[in-house]
Amino acid sequence: MTTTAIITLAAVLVIVLGVSVLTRPRHSSTVDFYLAGQRVGVATNSWAICGDYLSAASFLGVAAAVYVSGLDGAWYAVGFAAGFVPVLLLVAAPLRRYGEFSLADFLGRRLRSEAVRLHSVGVVQLVILCYLIPQSVGGGITWELLVGHGLFGLSPYSTGVLLSTAVIAVVVASGGMRGTTWNQAVQFLLLFGALVWLAATVSADGFRYGEAVETLSQEPLVNPAPDGDQWQLTQEHNAISPGEEAVFGQPGARYGQLGQVALVVTLGLGTAGLPHVMNRYFTAPTGRAARTTTVWVLLLIGMFYALAVMMGTAARDIIPAAAREHAWLAELTVEGVLRVPEHALPVLGRIYGDEAGLGLIAAAALIAAMSTVAGLLLASAATWGHDVYERHINPRATQRQAVWVGRASTLIAASIAAALAILLRPDAFTPAMPSLVATMVTWAFAIAGSALTPVVVLAIWWRRTTAAGAVAGLASGSVTAIAMFLIASFMEPGALRELFAAPTLVAAPLAFLLTIAVSLRTQPPAEVEADWLIMHGTAADRHAERMAALTMRERRRRKEERRAR
Amino acid sequence: MTPGDLTGPVPQHEGEIRDTPAEVDAAFRTLRRIAFTYFAVFLVVVAAFPVLSLTLDWWLDSRLIGSLSPGFLTVAVGLYAVFAGIGIAAATLSSSVEQRMLGSQETDE
Repeated sequence: MTTTAIITLAAVLVIVLGVSVLTRPRHSSTVDFYLAGQRVGVATNSWAICGDYLSAASFLGVAAAVYVSGLDGAWYAVGFAAGFVPVLLLVAAPLRRYGEFSLADFLGRRLRSEAVRLHSVGVVQLVILCYLIPQSVGGGITWELLVGHGLFGLSPYSTGVLLSTAVIAVVVASGGMRGTTWNQAVQFLLLFGALVWLAATVSADGFRYGEAVETLSQEPLVNPAPDGDQWQLTQEHNAISPGEEAVFGQPGARYGQLGQVALVVTLGLGTAGLPHVMNRYFTAPTGRAARTTTVWVLLLIGMFYALAVMMGTAARDIIPAAAREHAWLAELTVEGVLRVPEHALPVLGRIYGDEAGLGLIAAAALIAAMSTVAGLLLASAATWGHDVYERHINPRATQRQAVWVGRASTLIAASIAAALAILLRPDAFTPAMPSLVATMVTWAFAIAGSALTPVVVLAIWWRRTTAAGAVAGLASGSVTAIAMFLIASFMEPGALRELFAAPTLVAAPLAFLLTIAVSLRTQPPAEVEADWLIMHGTAADRHAERMAALTMRERRRRKEERRAR
Repeated sequence: MTPGDLTGPVPQHEGEIRDTPAEVDAAFRTLRRIAFTYFAVFLVVVAAFPVLSLTLDWWLDSRLIGSLSPGFLTVAVGLYAVFAGIGIAAATLSSSVEQRMLGSQETDE
């Protein structure tokens, strides 16, 4: 292990553990453990949501997708960024005002149904698992590049998966939402800082975005593929104009017209159903704060993704020439093109900052994976601990018991994700899936956007939504999404396969329609008007704002008194 | 303890007025119109790219800022700016509607 690797890993550990110790929970209550006491301010929460959302898929995966597919890879970035528009317009403020522990808790209480709660728990756990695995994969890939060898007889990849997941599981289990919030906020600032450094360094060295796209678009787009024991460069097919060559700066290297829209809709609608992101909204003090937080998130992630797309382009432009100068690139590339596209950013970091640059980017990648894992584990803990244990297994549980169950479920979810990540080594998938990390995250978005988002949106905006309707929507959305992307893996390339691989365009309208149809045949809960006052009224917001203003006034008065003495 | 205990329907305090069902219903209808109108704009923006790629050669072949085509520029930077613009406009309007239509009878302390 090099000195840089040791320093990088030590820095990540010091930051993560330091923040956790400083912000450890003050009380052993479930509101404190799962919701950080519901007092997280706009700036902190927007950074934390970005830290939670910008995962290994965003940091390594978006640049990798652009590296492999050019303009078509950028659709991942567009879809990820688009997700917060529906969140802001349709979900953030009313969801927070209803103020529950989790999406499953929100749906269960709003529709007065334990069946809805348990169906939601099932869908939420599926989404969390689909999202957790690629984050652990990201941790393994980064360790492989940074350290290069394993511990205790394990491979470097397995060591990375196990260590990064274990550290964050312990941090979440001990720190709860308060520690996780501050960790995610600090981690986002570091992640963003690393990307800005890379963009500034690459630009200062003479990289010109427009010229690079122009140059790369002069030749057909090629990527490595295994041919027996050897790797060869193969030309990408053009999905829009089959007779023409696919090029970097034009659409068609990966998706047809329908595929572009299907991907963006899948990613865009998925965000509103992501349990770890939506749970963060329950930590805001008011509905209005939740809405303002989302505006800041939209601005911050927009800047982040614009830089990620630019760096994917820079990697494609710079690495072929660098491969002729740097011997260490030989084993990672085939004729100057990376075998594993997720290596694009770490390799750029090493080219421009030598070991220190690789260390910085690797630390950022580890941090991206860990901050998202933290949010996912906490969301998993909230659903098992609150929605299953407190509601069904031990309704008389003390606060302390409920928190301990949350901690235990964190560790179990982490173990399952790490085990599956080790089984799904990325090398085996790369030829079939240009960016495994981003592709697997798409599955999580597909299930969330097809099952949870339609039901959550209808529960917020349509009084007639019923429990039976919600169960129909959850079941149809999730089953359709899973069936479609499984079928897609057996289909020949084409427009239909693209639609099946990003199924929300079909599955979400079906879930909407079924929820509405079944709801119209059943009775809505009698207390719906009281729910409407909470979700769409602002009395609680005004009360919270008044209390905050009184607290501030009291603090100022005491300060002035102390000064006067 | 549940979050609802902290943030659900709050008790009436001196100088504080709860929202009436009629007020909330009126605000809800206005907010729903705003949300769904902006959502429709968002969908149109997302769907515009493939339509423009099919119909306008200029969209992918001409060069704008930094020698990038309008299409590449849109995916690389433009759409994020549009999303942020939609977010800022909708949030400002929604908050202003809530301020105007709810809690209007509340007395200042």
